Amino acid sequence: MAETSEYNIGTQELPLMGKVNAIPEKAVEEYFTSGHRTCQGCESALIMRLMAKAAGPRSIILGSTGCMYVANTTYYSTPWVVPWMHTQLGSSGSAATGTAAALRALMRKGKMKEEPINVIAFCGDGGGIDMGVSSISAALMHAKYNLAIICYDNESYANTDIQISGASPWGANTTFTPPGKKFRIMHDCWKKNIAAMYAVGHTRCNYVATADASYPADLIDKVRKALAVKGPAFVHTLDPCPKGWDYDPFYSHKLGELAVETGLFPLWEMTDGALTYTGISARQVYGKRGRKPVREYLETQGRFHHFEEEDYEYFQSEVDKMWDDWMVPGVIPFKVNNPSKK
Amino acid sequence: MSVISFEVIYRGIFQKSLAVKISRTLILAAVKEGKPGISFGRYSDSPERNGIPAKQFGYIADNEEELETVAAQYEPKQVDISICVDDTLCKGVESWAWYGLQPINAVTKPGGTLIVTSNQKEDELVQHIHRRDTPYKLAIIPGEASFAGLWVYKDDGTDARCLAAALKAEPTMCSIASLESAIRENIGSETHIEAAREVYEDLRPVEIEPGQGNDEVPFTFELLKWHEMRQGVVIDGVGGHEGFRGGEGGYEPGRNPYFKKWSTRTMRPVVSFDKCTKCTLCWVACPDTCFDVTPDGFFDANMEACCGCGVCEAICPVKDCITMVNEVVFEERDSQWQMWQENKEDYDKYMDEKISVGKIEGRHPITGLGQAFSGIGIEMGHNPETAQVKSLQDLK
Ligand SMILES: Cc1ncc(C[n+]2csc(CCOP(=O)(O)OP(=O)(O)O)c2C)c(N)n1
Ligand code: SF4
Ligand code: SF4
Ligand code: SF4
Ligand SMILES: [Mg+2]
Repeated sequence: MAETSEYNIGTQELPLMGKVNAIPEKAVEEYFTSGHRTCQGCESALIMRLMAKAAGPRSIILGSTGCMYVANTTYYSTPWVVPWMHTQLGSSGSAATGTAAALRALMRKGKMKEEPINVIAFCGDGGGIDMGVSSISAALMHAKYNLAIICYDNESYANTDIQISGASPWGANTTFTPPGKKFRIMHDCWKKNIAAMYAVGHTRCNYVATADASYPADLIDKVRKALAVKGPAFVHTLDPCPKGWDYDPFYSHKLGELAVETGLFPLWEMTDGALTYTGISARQVYGKRGRKPVREYLETQGRFHHFEEEDYEYFQSEVDKMWDDWMVPGVIPFKVNNPSKK
Repeated sequence: MSVISFEVIYRGIFQKSLAVKISRTLILAAVKEGKPGISFGRYSDSPERNGIPAKQFGYIADNEEELETVAAQYEPKQVDISICVDDTLCKGVESWAWYGLQPINAVTKPGGTLIVTSNQKEDELVQHIHRRDTPYKLAIIPGEASFAGLWVYKDDGTDARCLAAALKAEPTMCSIASLESAIRENIGSETHIEAAREVYEDLRPVEIEPGQGNDEVPFTFELLKWHEMRQGVVIDGVGGHEGFRGGEGGYEPGRNPYFKKWSTRTMRPVVSFDKCTKCTLCWVACPDTCFDVTPDGFFDANMEACCGCGVCEAICPVKDCITMVNEVVFEERDSQWQMWQENKEDYDKYMDEKISVGKIEGRHPITGLGQAFSGIGIEMGHNPETAQVKSLQDLK
């Protein structure tokens, strides 16, 4: 390969947490701090905090339009400690590539001290699962740029007051899908399987993971692995959103746990093409632990308040399919038609 | 010229539908008598966030010209009536649109009326309300704050009761008959009308003299003018991370100095340090980075940052170690850990006292359904068919 293509000064060494009570010891410092205007109990804000904590001081963070831009950095004030910049709603991929490419070029030309700097671009589900898919896909193609894209998924266009996105769950009440008298279920798509879609489609992307702030050590470690790997990486987080999901903020942490415990949002990571389930999901896959009925999760949220018995049953049957029928449980939804053919 | 203006001060999302309902129904009542009016939300409060204070405004004029003149303003500088639907907001309002802490009575006209839904008495409530140089009236509608969620409306009669109180404060807005028919058309049942009548008869505003109230100087700061901003709208990141309360050991993060969550919370965590096992979970799980790490490894919730979500109480594995307590029972924002360090017995007494009067109980996951049937003015509020007026006596 030509010389310029090989130029890669590598990534930072970021020790892993392993367990939650190691976090104050290994990463007490805050890089996204108090004084944002998110809702009470906003798990996306917690994702920002833990993500920044994982990345540490030598990081540049870019964020596409959404709650984590609008509610955090209102008129001339900020909770960010590290450099942060806003980018357009569908542009987290391009912003990440551009920044990583600029740093690489400046260092290669000797205009900047050689030093691995973390580049993270975050986006909401609107930004990363609908509008920004092409730019993220492009970013995940280039092995020479070290960057991580973190999609914080609150399952709606939350900032603009809860419109459906490709990540909204089946049946949810949103401003675009209010349950009516004639049709109770106004959103009849199953949530887009985004992390697997990026993982399967981008063979030079060496790290893809799903995470949830209710499992903070797992989340921090996944962000650190995404930053440590050479080339692009993608992390998808599921974030309970008290405004759009309509529940008492007290239950934020609990709902994050239930999403995993019910098997609805399996936790896994894919490193160099090898898949590992993590935490509770690993125990579920190996049959060491059952899945809670998904009803427990749904009943706790006002957005499913219109559900009737058959809706709970349908939802459960779809979750069961993810685990029982999919080729790779909870991750890859194919069946192999001719498995014996060699 | 006579224009009557009012504001409804409420908690974002939780009380959005309530505030809009109050504001619009009042206008529609006046429109019945040929008086033009307008009801509007404050532009810069949108998009609303759960719990962040917000405002709805309204004007009622004698004719179109008058209305056009006042409606041309961005928002009213002074209002005849301020309606506050959550008494914890009496400590001040730190909204999206306002930088610093705005007193609850900041735009109430001299001699105007501040109406508050509250279980407190006037003399208790006035201790939280910032004092000012001009007199105003304070009127309490007895009852708890009515909270609901984005998709659920808590139909408990607070709307009708606030409307009646507003009319009592400014009887020239419209007749009782017009208000009643507006309630019937826009809110519903006869039960609401009964609840409204009861408030109309019982409401007794009290005069608040100049200088009476909380003497804290509310925190404010100057906004930069557009020509003072830096190129690219660049600002400095947050700095100032240091040891606990500036001393040796521990860790206290720097914080955005321009937005403190003093008035976002309706409740705050009270920590029993004797019970704490230092498991770190509250510190890790707080979305607002509230917990300062003390030199001896405890976690002290900083009351300049806490928005009162209750996640720390939910996650703490030790029984009764973190308790969420109603914000109205506090005047101070001191460090609980420091209070405990200074005198453990006194701190325990303080803690027990606060918990016994203000512990938050009866949580229900879906907002608006929690305590839905405890009723403020109307029992069985969700079903107008079976709803019954709860008399004010029952509430006492
Ligand atoms: C190109 C473009 N279209 C629409 C908008 C308006 N807009 C601002 S934030 C937002 C919601 C984004 O949703 P998401 O990415 O899921 O983030 P969230 O608000 O949920 O955190 C929208 C539609 C915009 N800023 N830019
Ligand atoms: S709407 Fe949801 S994501 Fe946005 S600030 Fe509120 S809780 Fe957070
Ligand atoms: S209630 Fe607890 S978790 Fe919520 S902001 Fe306050 S300290 Fe943090
Ligand atoms: S969660 Fe409870 S026990 Fe654990 S550190 Fe916090 S206060 Fe102490
Ligand atoms: Mg979203």
